[in-house]
Amino acid sequence: MIRITPSKLLKIVFGVGLFVILCIGGFTYKHIQELSESTEEVNDTQTLRTELEHMVYNLKEAEVGHRGFLLTHDSLFLKPYHESRLKIDQNLKRLDTLIVKDKAQRENLNQLEQDIVKRFIIFNKSLNIATDDEILTKDILLLLHEGKIKMSRIRNDISVMLELENKLLHEQQKKNEEAIGITPLFLYSILILTLLLLLLAYAKINKDLMVLKKTNKDLKIFKTLTEQAEIVSKSGTWMWKIKDNTYHFSDNLYKLLGTEPQSFEPNLESIFKYVHEDDAEDLRQEISNMIKNEDLPFVTFRIVQPNGATKHLKAHAKLIDIGFEEKQLLGVAVDVTDEFDSFNLIQERNQELERNNKELSDFNYVASHDLQEPLRKIQTFISRLETNDGEQISEKGQFYISKIKSSSARMRMLIEDLLQYSRTNNADKDYVNTNINMLLEHAKHELSDSIESKGAIITNDNLPNLEVVAFQIQQLFINLISNSLKYSKEGIAPVINISHQEVRTNTVKDIEKSLFKYHHKISFKDNGIGFEQVYAKNIFELFNRLHGKTEYSGTGIGLAICKKIVENHNGVIVAEAEPNIGTTITIYLPFLK
Amino acid sequence: MKIALADDDEDDRFFFTEAFDELKVKSKVSTFKDGIELMHYLEQAENELPDLLFLDLNMPKKSGISCLQDIKANSRLKDLVIAIYSTSSSEEDVEHTFVLGANIYIKKPNDFEKLKKVLSEVVTTNWQYITSGLNKDNFLLRL
Repeated sequence: MIRITPSKLLKIVFGVGLFVILCIGGFTYKHIQELSESTEEVNDTQTLRTELEHMVYNLKEAEVGHRGFLLTHDSLFLKPYHESRLKIDQNLKRLDTLIVKDKAQRENLNQLEQDIVKRFIIFNKSLNIATDDEILTKDILLLLHEGKIKMSRIRNDISVMLELENKLLHEQQKKNEEAIGITPLFLYSILILTLLLLLLAYAKINKDLMVLKKTNKDLKIFKTLTEQAEIVSKSGTWMWKIKDNTYHFSDNLYKLLGTEPQSFEPNLESIFKYVHEDDAEDLRQEISNMIKNEDLPFVTFRIVQPNGATKHLKAHAKLIDIGFEEKQLLGVAVDVTDEFDSFNLIQERNQELERNNKELSDFNYVASHDLQEPLRKIQTFISRLETNDGEQISEKGQFYISKIKSSSARMRMLIEDLLQYSRTNNADKDYVNTNINMLLEHAKHELSDSIESKGAIITNDNLPNLEVVAFQIQQLFINLISNSLKYSKEGIAPVINISHQEVRTNTVKDIEKSLFKYHHKISFKDNGIGFEQVYAKNIFELFNRLHGKTEYSGTGIGLAICKKIVENHNGVIVAEAEPNIGTTITIYLPFLK
Repeated sequence: MKIALADDDEDDRFFFTEAFDELKVKSKVSTFKDGIELMHYLEQAENELPDLLFLDLNMPKKSGISCLQDIKANSRLKDLVIAIYSTSSSEEDVEHTFVLGANIYIKKPNDFEKLKKVLSEVVTTNWQYITSGLNKDNFLLRL
C-alpha cells in the first residue's frame, strides 16, 4: 500500500478543491452565457415582430398612397407610395440579418419577399393603366381585387412568421426556465461537496497536527533527556551539514571545552583553539580525511580548557543521509579523561606488580640457592665435627652441637616450605584430566617411611578423575596425610580415612557462594589429637601454629599451602576437629556435570 | 679412576676431595674453580680426559650449563660421563640438564656421610652400561 503522507494529502485536497472551484466558475459562466444568449434571442424576436409590424404599416401606407393616386391622379400621393416602397426594402434587409439561423423562418421570409414583389407588380400595373386612362376601368378594378388577395396573402405570411417566432420564443423560454431551475441546485451541491472536502481536509490536517504536536513534545523530551545524558556521560554532540558547510555544537560540547554554551561560532577553527598543540596536527589530518571521506573513525586528542586543565576527548562521527534532505555528519565527542587516568593508573600498578613479581622470583632464587648453601655447609661441617671429633668434645659441647643441628634442620625445613608456598603461587596452571587415585598413591609412596614407622592405616574411597594441576594436588595429599601422621596421639596408630562423594553446591553451607552447581567432597578424617573448633579457620593461615615448636615440628606453612592449592582449583577447604578425638579436613572441588 | 670437579665454592671442593680420600676408592681427583678453567683444561688435546666429571651449575664466568653445552658440542668430549652437582634441585635445572645430555643429577647433601654415600654410588656405577638406558625418572639421584 502506498502511504499518503500528510503533506501529500494536503496537496491532493488543495488540488481537488481548486479543481472544484474552477468547475463551479466554469459552469456558472456557461450558465450565465446561456442566459444572456437566450435573452438576446428574446430581444431578436421582439425586434423581428416590430419589424414585421412596421412592414405591414409600410405596405398599408403604400396602399393608401396608391389608392389616393388612383382616385385623384395627383402625383402628390405617389410620394408616400415610393417612400414606403423603399422602407419595405429596408425592412426586408433588416429581417434578413435578423433571421440568420432558422431555416424554416428563412423560407417564410423568402415567401414573404416574393409575395411583396408580386404585390408591387400589381401596384405598378394598375398605376400604369391609371396614368393612361385617368378613369377607373374594369382592368383596374380587377387589379385592385387581385391586389387585395395578394395583401391578405402577405398578411398570412407575416402571421406564419410571427407564429413561428412565437413558438421559437416559447421554446427558448422554456429551456431557459429549465436551465435557470437547475443552476442553483447544481451550484449548491457542488458547494456542499467542496465544503465537505474542506471539512475532511481540515479534520485530517487537525489530526496530523495533533500527531505533530505529540511528536514535537516527544522530541522536546528526548532532547532534554539527551542533554541530561550528555552531562552524565560527559559527552557532547555535533553536526556538520556538508552542503552548506555549517556546524552545530551541543551545549555540553561547549562545556566539555570548558566554555559557556553557544559562546562562540561553531566551526572547526574555533575548536582548534582548544586542541592541545601536540595533538593539533594529527587531528587536522583526521579532519581533512573526514572532509574528504565524509566519515570520521574514532579519534582521541587532548584539549586545553581556558582554565588550563587538560582533558582527553574521544570523537566519532557517522554520515547520515536517510530521512534528511541533505547529507549530514553526526558526531559525538566524549570526555575520556577519567578512563585515561584510570588506564594509566592500572598500567602503573601493572608495572609495579611486574616489578614485585620479579623481586619475588629473585627472592625465590636467593632462598633456594644462596640461603641453602651456607646452611648446607653448617650442617656438613657439624656432621664432620661429630664424626671426627665426637669423642673429644665435652658433654655440654655435644649438647650444643645437637642444638645447632636441630636449629639448622628447622631452618632448612622453613626455607623448603616457604619455597613450596611461593611456587604454588606462580606455577604454570596446567590443568590436566588426572586420575586422583594415582596422585594419592604417589603421596602415600612419598610418605611411606613415616607411614611405616607410625604403623598408620590409610583407607580410601575410589576417587574421581579431575582436571587438576597434578603435582599441586599430590602436594596437597602429602601435606594432609603428613599432618595426620604428625599430629597423631602418642602410642596409638594413626587411622586415616579418605572419603569421597558428589554434592550439590546449594546443600552445603561452606560452598554456597560458589558459582558451580556441583562439587566433589573429599574428606581426610583422622584419629589424632584434634584441636578446639574455634581454631578451625586460623590453621590455614601462614605461620599459624597451635602447638609449641618443640612438641610438634611444624612450620605453620603446610596447611597454608593446602589452602592455596585448593583455591587455585576454585575449591574450598575447611577443617572440623575435636580435641583428643580427631580432625577432619574436607576439600570441595567444583566440577561440571 | 680419574675424577674431575668444577665448582667455584672452595668449601665444596674441600668436602669433595676429603670424601674421596675417605672413600678409599683408587682415584685421582682434579678440581677446577670455574667453567673457564675447566674448559681450558678439557680442550687441550694433550690433557687426559676424566672418567667422571662433576659439574656445579652456578659458577662465575662460565656456568655449568654453558660447559655442558660446549662439551656436548665437542666431538672429542661429547661422550664424557657428566654428573650435575648442584645446591638446588629445581625442576627447571633438572629438566634442562637432562635434555642437554647429563648422565645424573646430584643435589649436594647436607651431611658428610651422605655425601660419601652418594659419591660412592656414582663412582661404582657402570656408566658405559647405564648410558643406553637413561631415563628421566632415575636421572635425579635419590638415596
